Order: sequence, then structure tokens, then C-alpha cells
Amino acid sequence: SVCKFISYSVGVHKMRDKLRKWREDNHRNSEQIVDVGEELINEHASKLGDDIWIIYEQVMIAALDCSRDDLAWTCLQELKRQFPGSQRVKRLAGMRLEALEKYEDASKQYDSILQDDPTNTAARKRKISILKAQGKSAEAIRELNEYLEQFVGDQEAWHELSELYINEHDYGKAAFCLEELMMTNPHNHLYCEQYAEVKYTQGGLENLELSRKYFAQALKLNNRNMRALFGLYMSASHIAACPKVNATVKKANVKYAAWATNQINRAYQLAGRGTKENKCSVKAVEEMLESMQITMS
Amino acid sequence: LSYFCLFHSGAYCKMLLHAAKYPHCAVNGLLVAEKQKEKKKDSHSTPILCVDCIPLFHGTLALAPMLEVALTLIDTWCKENKYVIAGYYQANERTKDFRPNQFAEKVGARIAENFSEAAMIMVDSTRFTMGCYEPILTIYDHHENKWKCRDCNADCFEDWCEAQKITSALLEGRSYESLIDFDNHLDDLRNDWTNPEINKSVLHLC
Repeated sequence: SVCKFISYSVGVHKMRDKLRKWREDNHRNSEQIVDVGEELINEHASKLGDDIWIIYEQVMIAALDCSRDDLAWTCLQELKRQFPGSQRVKRLAGMRLEALEKYEDASKQYDSILQDDPTNTAARKRKISILKAQGKSAEAIRELNEYLEQFVGDQEAWHELSELYINEHDYGKAAFCLEELMMTNPHNHLYCEQYAEVKYTQGGLENLELSRKYFAQALKLNNRNMRALFGLYMSASHIAACPKVNATVKKANVKYAAWATNQINRAYQLAGRGTKENKCSVKAVEEMLESMQITMS
Repeated sequence: LSYFCLFHSGAYCKMLLHAAKYPHCAVNGLLVAEKQKEKKKDSHSTPILCVDCIPLFHGTLALAPMLEVALTLIDTWCKENKYVIAGYYQANERTKDFRPNQFAEKVGARIAENFSEAAMIMVDSTRFTMGCYEPILTIYDHHENKWKCRDCNADCFEDWCEAQKITSALLEGRSYESLIDFDNHLDDLRNDWTNPEINKSVLHLC
């Protein structure tokens, strides 16, 4: 009947839209992607049109995440058949080898892509991921630095490098990477806030003051960034409590901290409205802020 | 005198649910115990019961500010509930990497400042199965400024069979999708890091 057909189609559209949103947001919710994607591929392939190819790619990568080699293999075969000789599909084959921990074979696969196309950034980045997977952090960092000398505008790479440095506790170099990102993305509140966190972690009065400035900047760009708000509170409180600062600086930071306290309490009260359970969070936050104020004065 | 920490089923299962929710990330969190009323000088070591687990972060762990916020906030919450922060757990990003790193040792030491019998717990993801056939933790105790490894077996649990049954059931039911860690809470303050829904599920299965 016509009605059945319509509701069937709506279901398929919804599933397809979900997959597209997850693709656009770069969501790594692999189990859900496999759930939705597998059904689409198995039952509704004919209704997907040309979208099916990008869906095969998305589902294949998610399947690798979930150790569903059967599903990954199926997707890969379909893509190989449709796009013979494609570098993009070759890269997917390499990723499958990585998932199977066949790192040497995967590396060879990427090398063969690079032989045909030395500027293939995806293949180069996969090779660096292999180093990461093998725990070879120093090598991964070295290769990624070399990559960035050539591809200085690759933001994903700069961010990856900052994370590698943070894991090695090399906060100075992590800060440098985030500075690059802030320069090219001055309106991105997340980069500001992460930079502030790195500076805070580095420690010392100068870094604390820098961190407070960048937490404040992140808040200017997005006044709902709770990490930036808490960060402003923590950095200002620590500066105010530091015996080295003069009275003016101390007074200013006590003010910043007091402002942040207000904003934090407000944010918690707004969030806790109507839920009995969240009241414990509100209370705990109020008490925490009060107790820290005592140590500041 | 050796310390001995016992895991309540709810505490164990939340650690594993946290690791299961973010299989591609490092995760960490805290364990809380009931505050002991009095310390008897002549008693043999009374086991510390880890009654709950507060999942903290996933992804990049080694940054200070949010960790400080979490520690201070959870410490305040503990005081209200007559708990004490008794341990720290971490699962590394790479499955095969189950040894504690410098960061884990630092946080563990910080917790040990306030609670001398604090334990540092590493999750061994190589042995992680849906059936939860064996405990997959390694426990480290703080002795003379060093961390000493202790094996974790069924004796480390209040009731291992119960812990196994509950954890396995919640993994099968994909409860980890609704697990809230402190990172989730910072993304949206309405997300409750005490995980009342999961606590309810655990009680139902007890």
C-alpha cells in the first residue's frame, strides 16, 4: 500500500540524514554508525543513490573500530569494484590492515600510494598514525613536524601534534602548536581555552597570568564555555593567593575570581533547575568556591 | 601492615563502562571509599571498601586545571557524603599499554597525600571481554614514595560473582552509552557525574 511505502522511505531518509550529520560532525560513535549503516546497506541500498559510496566508506571505518572485519571487508569490496585503482580506496585498504595490526603491510600500502602521488597527505598521516599505534611517540612527533614543514596549513595535524606533546609533558611545544592554531583561527574558543590549560599546567606566575588572559578570551568568544569559566576562576585564585604579587595585581585577580564565582554559581543554578539530583552538584560547587575563597584571603 | 582495598560491584562496573564508552581514548577517574569512623591502633588492616567510582576524563589527560577542579569539587562532595577519595584509575589510549605513566603516578601521589592507603589502579584492556571472566585491574600501593604492584583477583572484591554478573549485563546492554564523566559534565552541566541511572541499574541487578 502507498502508506507503507511512504513510512518506509521516511525511515530511510532519517537514517541517511543521521549518518550525514555524524559525518559532518566527525563523530566517532562507531557502534551507532554500524547499527544504522549496516541496516541501510543491507536493506535499502537501492534507495540511497550515489550517497551509498560515501556511506560504504563511513561504515567501513566504523566497522574497523568495532572489530567487524566482516562488514569492513564487504564495504571495501563494493568500493574496490566501483572505484578500481582509487587512491582513496587504497587508503581504506591500508586502514583495514592497521586495524588487523598488520602494520608493515599497511605501511607498504601507503608507500605505494605515495609513490604514485607524493603529495598524498592522507597516506602520510596514516603512516604517522601507525607510529602512534606502535607507541613510537618520539618518531611520530618527528614525522609530524616534518609533515608540517611542508603542509603548514593543516590544522588537524597541528592539533594532533599538540596532543602528542601534551602526552609527553612537553607543554612548551604543545603551546607553540596551539599558538599556530589560534593565529589561523582567532575566533575559535576551544583553541584559546586549550592554550590556557597548557599554560596553566606549565605553571609559574607568568604562565598563570597568560592562562587567565586566554581563559578570559575564550569566554569572550563563547560565554558558555564552562572549562574557560572554571579556568578563569582557578588561575585568578592562584594568582591572588601567590605571595609574590603586589597589592594591585592581587586586588584585580580577587575581582576576576569573584566574578567567575558568580557566573559559575549562576550556571549551576540554571542547570539544576527542576532536578532534585543536580542540587548536590550546585551545593558542592558553592561550597568548593567558598572554601577556595578562604585560602585566597 | 598491608593495605587491602575491596571493590564494590558498582565501582568496578563504572570503571569498565567508562573504558568501554571511549575505546579509542585514555580514560581516568577516581574511586571513593566510606570514611572510616575511628582508626583502631591494634587492629589488623581493615579493608577499605571502594564503594563508588567517579569517571573523570577521556582523551588528553595530562592537563592540570580541570583535574584540579574535579578533585576539589569531588572532595567537597565526598565530605558531604562521608566519603573519602581513596584511589585513582586510568586506562591508557593504547590497548597494550597497561603500565602506569608519570601522570598516573603524580595524581596517585596527590591523592595519597590526603589518604595514605590510596591505590592507583590501571585497567588492562587486553583482557577486556564482554563476559568479564576475570578482574582486569592491576593495583598499585604507595610504599615509601614508590608504587608497588599488587595482583587483583576475586579476593579484591566484596563479591566478585556479583561484580562480574552486573558488569557483563551492563556492557551487553550498552549502558556505557549513558555513562557520564566529568568531561561530559563540563560540556553540559545537566549531565550528572554521580551517574544515578547507572547506580539504579546496578542496584536492580544486585
